[in-house]
Amino acid sequence: MSETTSGSPSPGTPSREEIRVGVYVCHCGGNISDVVDVAKVVEEVGRHPSVEVSKHFPFLCSDPGQQLILEDIRRNGVNRVVVSACSPFLHETTFRKALQRAGLNPYLYEHVNVREQVSWVHKAKRESATEKAIRLTLAGVEKVARQDPLEAIRVQAEPHVVVIGAGIAGMRAAVSAARRGLRVTLIEKSDRTGGRLNELATLYPDNESARAVVDDLTQMVVGDGNIDLCLNSRLTMVDGYVGSFTVGFETRGPEGPILRQVRAGAIILATGFRHYEPFEGELGYGQSPDVMTLPEFNRALESTPPGDLPTFGGRRVRHVAFVHCVGSRQIEGVHRPQPDGRVNDYCSRVCCTAALHSIHRLMDKHPGVRVFDVYRDIRTYGRGHEDLYEKASKRGVLFFRHTEENQPTVELQASQNGHPPHRIRVRDVLTWNEEVEIPVDLVVLATGMMPSDIGGIVQTMKLPVGSDRFLQEVHPKLRPVEVANNGVFLAGTCQGPMDAVEAVAAGEAAAVKASILLSKGVIEMDPFVARVREERCDGCALCLNECEYRGALAMAESADGRKVARVNPALCAGCGACAAVCEPRAIEVAGWSLDQFDAMVDALVSR
Amino acid sequence: MRDPDQYKILILTTNVSSYPGANTVGQARLQYSPGTSILRVPDPVMFPEEFYLNAFRKGVDGIIVMSSGSDCPYEGAYRRLSARIQRVYRRMKEEGIDKSRLKLTTICTVCKTAFLKEIAEMQENLRKLEEAAAQA
Amino acid sequence: MIANHPVDKADALVVGAGIAGLQAALDLADQGFQVVIAERQPSIGGHMINLSKVFPTLDCASCITTPRMASASHHPNIRVFTYTEVEAIRPVGDRFEATLTRKPRHIDEDRCIGCKRCEEACTVYLPDEYEHGLGAKKAVSIPFTNAIPQYPVLDMDECFLCGGCARACPTDAIDYLQQPETFRLEAGAVILATGYDMTPMDAKSQYGGGRLPNVISPWQAERLLAPHGPYGGVLRPSDGKVPDSIAFVQCAGSRDLSLGVPYCSRVCCMYAIKQAMLLSGSLPIADITIYYMDIRAFGKGYEQFYLNAKAMGIEFVKAKVARITEDEDHNPIVRIERQEADAAPEEVRHDLVILSLGMVPAWVPDRDGIVPLQTGSDRFLLSPKPRVSPTLTSLPGVFACGAATGPKDIVDSIVEAGAAAMQAAAHLQRTLAGAVR
Repeated sequence: MSETTSGSPSPGTPSREEIRVGVYVCHCGGNISDVVDVAKVVEEVGRHPSVEVSKHFPFLCSDPGQQLILEDIRRNGVNRVVVSACSPFLHETTFRKALQRAGLNPYLYEHVNVREQVSWVHKAKRESATEKAIRLTLAGVEKVARQDPLEAIRVQAEPHVVVIGAGIAGMRAAVSAARRGLRVTLIEKSDRTGGRLNELATLYPDNESARAVVDDLTQMVVGDGNIDLCLNSRLTMVDGYVGSFTVGFETRGPEGPILRQVRAGAIILATGFRHYEPFEGELGYGQSPDVMTLPEFNRALESTPPGDLPTFGGRRVRHVAFVHCVGSRQIEGVHRPQPDGRVNDYCSRVCCTAALHSIHRLMDKHPGVRVFDVYRDIRTYGRGHEDLYEKASKRGVLFFRHTEENQPTVELQASQNGHPPHRIRVRDVLTWNEEVEIPVDLVVLATGMMPSDIGGIVQTMKLPVGSDRFLQEVHPKLRPVEVANNGVFLAGTCQGPMDAVEAVAAGEAAAVKASILLSKGVIEMDPFVARVREERCDGCALCLNECEYRGALAMAESADGRKVARVNPALCAGCGACAAVCEPRAIEVAGWSLDQFDAMVDALVSR
Repeated sequence: MRDPDQYKILILTTNVSSYPGANTVGQARLQYSPGTSILRVPDPVMFPEEFYLNAFRKGVDGIIVMSSGSDCPYEGAYRRLSARIQRVYRRMKEEGIDKSRLKLTTICTVCKTAFLKEIAEMQENLRKLEEAAAQA
Repeated sequence: MIANHPVDKADALVVGAGIAGLQAALDLADQGFQVVIAERQPSIGGHMINLSKVFPTLDCASCITTPRMASASHHPNIRVFTYTEVEAIRPVGDRFEATLTRKPRHIDEDRCIGCKRCEEACTVYLPDEYEHGLGAKKAVSIPFTNAIPQYPVLDMDECFLCGGCARACPTDAIDYLQQPETFRLEAGAVILATGYDMTPMDAKSQYGGGRLPNVISPWQAERLLAPHGPYGGVLRPSDGKVPDSIAFVQCAGSRDLSLGVPYCSRVCCMYAIKQAMLLSGSLPIADITIYYMDIRAFGKGYEQFYLNAKAMGIEFVKAKVARITEDEDHNPIVRIERQEADAAPEEVRHDLVILSLGMVPAWVPDRDGIVPLQTGSDRFLLSPKPRVSPTLTSLPGVFACGAATGPKDIVDSIVEAGAAAMQAAAHLQRTLAGAVR
């Protein structure tokens, strides 16, 4: 924790005599002054004992307006500023910067909105609008009078990233971060890079060689002096916080395991996915070699001897059926749940196109084969995907569509003469909901994606996991590659099903977040986080129960040996949930203290 | 009976949604009661029960808590806030403060109509209370 | 920062200030690079700022977009040029020279305080493009409530020159004679976030889009559903009636070779489901039907969203829509061919029909010029190495993200914007280091 420095001096109420507030009311060229009697506001607020000067001006945001404030700070001893003008979202930063130019801490400033929330909404009520402007301005004076100087929170940032997983997303993240000058430790549990892409020969929709993609990225990784690629390695511990994590991992070597530790400012998780494994007997799986998953089929197709018809496991195959949504879009009560009691109710995104891609490869290699495709919805959403669907129809692939209520079944060895031996039964929407029997030699199950088994990492790092068991981002749009743990980013399919293009893009997006975080050497954060007045803290620890941010709040020992709450500002989000339960008001959000709000309410009811 | 514009209505707004929502109302020049005072906070979850009760004791007639609801950027804050408001209601009952003086709602950055509706409803609640008090 | 005056140099030029462009610019600027954003519209925010809510979280779109808009417009490393066209981008060595033209707003931005007094004074009413024809605006107006910057645009083609706005302006900011201003910008990298247009309403003339008043576009549906929408509620255009029966026609602009859009537009299923859910929320007794071929709820949390919609009672009908006509009360009549059964084509009467239009690129290099780049057969920009560097273009130093590289939802666009910023940052680091040597 030693590097975390909260720049704000120990909070305390400065003596009221020292406080000299400058109040400035803007006309906004009539926008405010046509409704609000600005002279009256200035006069009334000027009577407040803490107010040193009180002025109105046509355009405070203009240079002469700002100059007026600067002069009062420099010459007239003003040490707190209130501007009553437009919305703070427009000009709060303008005036904070002006204070800074005058040598005053920019947080000793309060912006009062008397335009959007007074003059524009009470046009016909000049007198009460003026009263409201006085009330709000007085509340601003009370708030700023209780404000102490704040400094941005600065945390040292180790220019080093640990990337976990050397699939394409992890490699891409590592290469991108390294190219921004960050050192990268790339930890991979297996003995090679490329992850799941190693299982594929070609990639949809353009048949790019998977090997070429893996080789390309691997060369970039190996050729980059900033990247330390650690194969055969597994994460053992993570400690610390954003900017300064300690990551331990164990590498299996010929002389036994080697334990290593690195310090890193950020961690990128690229732990990938595993294939859904059908249960024994699910659509005949495990009960006949003629039922296989799509990855198994892709592997087998690599070694079929060329010819009009393929041979799988020594048997010639003429009729092949592909069944979609195996292990995806599952329905509770219909499908068998995973050990955690939950079914996979999500769509795995890639299997429709992946199945169609394999169908084309099969038909390219073995033109005599007859293909049936059993599906619910064909989700060929991506670029070039729909083409694969169109072409499959044109090539004579027969599609059978079922509803979620009527799942297909596979009957093994159902045929009397044994040719073709198996049958798929499906109630087909496309032919009047009739039950159709499809005689087949081979059944291919387009299995979905599940996250890799990373329970250990999840536990070690206390990572948030969604109901789909994938790692859970903070917000899909606001912070799509970040988890709630500050400084930890997500790359690729550990977050949810993605195809190769999407996983690589996510890898780069995660890397850019790491680069933003670490490229300046220090991480600067808003000062509006919780802080503790230790002299007031009675050590009750009630605040800890309220805090949702792991590590943000803990009990510690004060200088005089008492148990007190302590904030790690690097982990606090500043919501203030802790402040609500602290009776002695020892903990508060800097810049938004309850003492300030009490005084503001007093001002608001005073007129 | 007071003019409903005299009712002191305290509105707690959030940085991310209801405060900008109030600005949107202003940009559209929609009019509402000047008896309102808007306070901006990161999240109203920071206020203890006592804050609300004190505000009533000090002379605030009604409080509208305009939270960010599902748009709330803080973990678990909305859940805690609504639980707290329930506790405030219980305390209000104990102290004989009518429940309709406090309202928890969600206002987004562009929720103009909802914003105005909440204020009008609070004014109406307060008017009814005053009427009932006058009759009693 | 909002730039009111030309600058001549930047590390990166980002073209387009929709959600992808804003994210890319922020991700570069936060790394310390100087960024110029050029946006042809008078406000930043792109399409997203005009949406009601967004799937699958049903967050308020404005609440998600405005913080990014505000960050970009206040960022010390970003200069935002709105109402500015990029005329040309020319590689010069390993840098680029861009020609930009600031279109005249007829407002002196240095003086304008965004008070809308000009707008109040103006007496000329025009259709409001931000309300997609459902509302009116003045000839001088700020484009929409949460526009950034809050400067109005005076449409001189429609202005009567009555002088009312100039008299009303407290800062003397109206400038009837303002001229376009062209300037050059040198940049080390370019990110194209030029976004999409929707397929035209009348692309399938048999659907009556643009002709039948109660057959509306998804944009119009968004505005009807937005809390700050034109009517303050869901009313149908022909007679202001609250619709009881609403239908969505999926793939009304996609997956159809005859339209030149054979591909799936990727977002239409989800936005239709979202709009259906929002409609069902604001009109609880309305019947809502979605006619579809395949529901493509493929993203994270999307399938559950679809299931929720079904549970809410929204009816999903597997059917092809052959044509849409209307009765004498302008009620749309949808002729459908159900996929599910041996039924003859039927005609279903609805009060309101929404055509789920698809996406086409807003900027196409061989049509619109500016900089020659390779595109796919779908006319979206193409990466030469999609699985190693998805945001590359055929010109080194020029990167692309968001809907410029194909139909994409908001989440995928934001992630790809980060990827483009990463590529641009690495490129700048390499070329800047070279320059120092």
